[in-house]
Amino acid sequence: MMLEVRDLQISYRDQVVASVPTLDLEPGQVLGIAGESGSGKSQTALALMGLTRYANGVVTGSMVLDGRELLTLSPRQWRLVRGRDIAMILQSPRAALNPTMKLGALFSRTLRLHGMTKDQRGPRMVQALAEVVLDAEILDRYPHEISGGQAQRFAIALVAALRVKVLIADEPTSALDVTVQAEVIDVLRNLRDRHGTAIIFISHDLSVIGELADAVMVMRDGAVVEQGSAESVFNQPTQEYTRMLLAAIPVIGGRSR
Amino acid sequence: MKDLLNSEMMPAPTPDLQGEPRRRRPAAWPGWRVARRFPLLNIGMVLAAVVILASLLAPWITPYPEDAGAVIHPDLVLEPPSFAHWFGTDAVGRDVFTRVLFGGRVSIAIVVGVLLISAVIGLSIGLAAGFFGGWLDAILMRVTDVFLAFPALLLAVALAAMLSASAVNAALAIAFTWWPWYARLARGQAASIRRQGYADAAIVLGAGRARLLIRHLLPNASTAVFVQMSLDAAGIILTAATLSYLGLGAQDPIPEWGLMVAQGQPLATTAWWVITFPGLAILVTAVAFNFIGDGLQNVFDPKRGRS
Repeated sequence: MMLEVRDLQISYRDQVVASVPTLDLEPGQVLGIAGESGSGKSQTALALMGLTRYANGVVTGSMVLDGRELLTLSPRQWRLVRGRDIAMILQSPRAALNPTMKLGALFSRTLRLHGMTKDQRGPRMVQALAEVVLDAEILDRYPHEISGGQAQRFAIALVAALRVKVLIADEPTSALDVTVQAEVIDVLRNLRDRHGTAIIFISHDLSVIGELADAVMVMRDGAVVEQGSAESVFNQPTQEYTRMLLAAIPVIGGRSR
Repeated sequence: MKDLLNSEMMPAPTPDLQGEPRRRRPAAWPGWRVARRFPLLNIGMVLAAVVILASLLAPWITPYPEDAGAVIHPDLVLEPPSFAHWFGTDAVGRDVFTRVLFGGRVSIAIVVGVLLISAVIGLSIGLAAGFFGGWLDAILMRVTDVFLAFPALLLAVALAAMLSASAVNAALAIAFTWWPWYARLARGQAASIRRQGYADAAIVLGAGRARLLIRHLLPNASTAVFVQMSLDAAGIILTAATLSYLGLGAQDPIPEWGLMVAQGQPLATTAWWVITFPGLAILVTAVAFNFIGDGLQNVFDPKRGRS
């Protein structure tokens, strides 16, 4: 296993907001985490990024990435994990780009932060942009000059160029319209196939998760309700709540279930 | 709207609906379109440019540059305006036109100095407070509040009176009362930018706190502070003039506008030109910077509507 999470429990002021008994991830695997708002899926993501401490959260349990325990890392060591081993893309892609910087500067600085030399950065940027079907010309633009879909693909290009092992995508398509959603999912699939990036895909929308995920975890009120391969969860949900989520997927031609 | 127009979905430029050929020529300077929409900003910039150019070029374009210093022309005392002396002469026979232009240099130096000092202090304190929050925020902002609790002008007068009267000390005194505004502004900006997506994005890509502060918070928070600075230029000129008028700023023979007004006041009924022209200079400069500040505010924040 590349990533092994055991008995992860996240609490704020003695109040447990999310607990995940087991979460395993192999390279190239996509895990979908589904659940409504407040189900603890984003808190799980924050814990995996080592960011709960900034909100005074307490995390117990164990998180092992490639044989290294992450929970005991110092803030300094965590910084080297973020963006190198684990990275995240966020819900509102355009807000994730600093409006005062051209995309090229943003891209180049991010790669420099992770120790790439100038000669390495140029080709890496062009290659990564090609992987997400963006023109290199976009590097000359400011964030307000590109569309939401382009911005999300740009964010994925950043991650592709950094060659992270695990990408956490927190509702990456929820702010986009359906056709653009499909583009972003294609790009994520391509990222996994090409670089073997493992992806944790968080969404409230099971139909989007169904497009991509190999394994699915359903969360509610901070607890894992159902967990298994995508096939088993979609075809034989054991829990009433999962059935409800599945029934919420709109189907052309009316209710099918 | 702007994003829509620029996205790949809509090829620019949209054809004119009336079928008329587009009248607008491609502007040589891209700022033109902005400038055209904000006439006050234009007027302000032109006025400010004239004032700044005239003061910077004062040694070369004034007829009697030596009159900016300590000279006395007993034969030319209080000459009314004429071709030789456009603005007349003062109580010791110095050319008022020359002194008004040189006075601009003093004012500009004071404005630039005050803005730099107070922006540096204000941005540092404000960014630190907004970024780190918690007890540091509480302490820094309470200190700032203490400074804000005193009327700025009164505090500046008290400070300038404690120091020896000179243009530099006047600038220091003003800067000392000016930075709290920038600190408050920068703190609010920093706190809100800290919650923006791109701050989170920088963190999840491995950026540290120093990088977040300097690369992301500073440039985005400064926009508001820059606008405030341009608005404040007028106020600083007036405050500096007030201090010199009260005898707490620049001292004779330095040609400072406020000081010249003070010197001309007893002569106002007999030699109107001594007080009028430096006064007009203060007025024009203050108005120019006010227009610029107002205009910039509109340019940067279209939601506020045009004035």
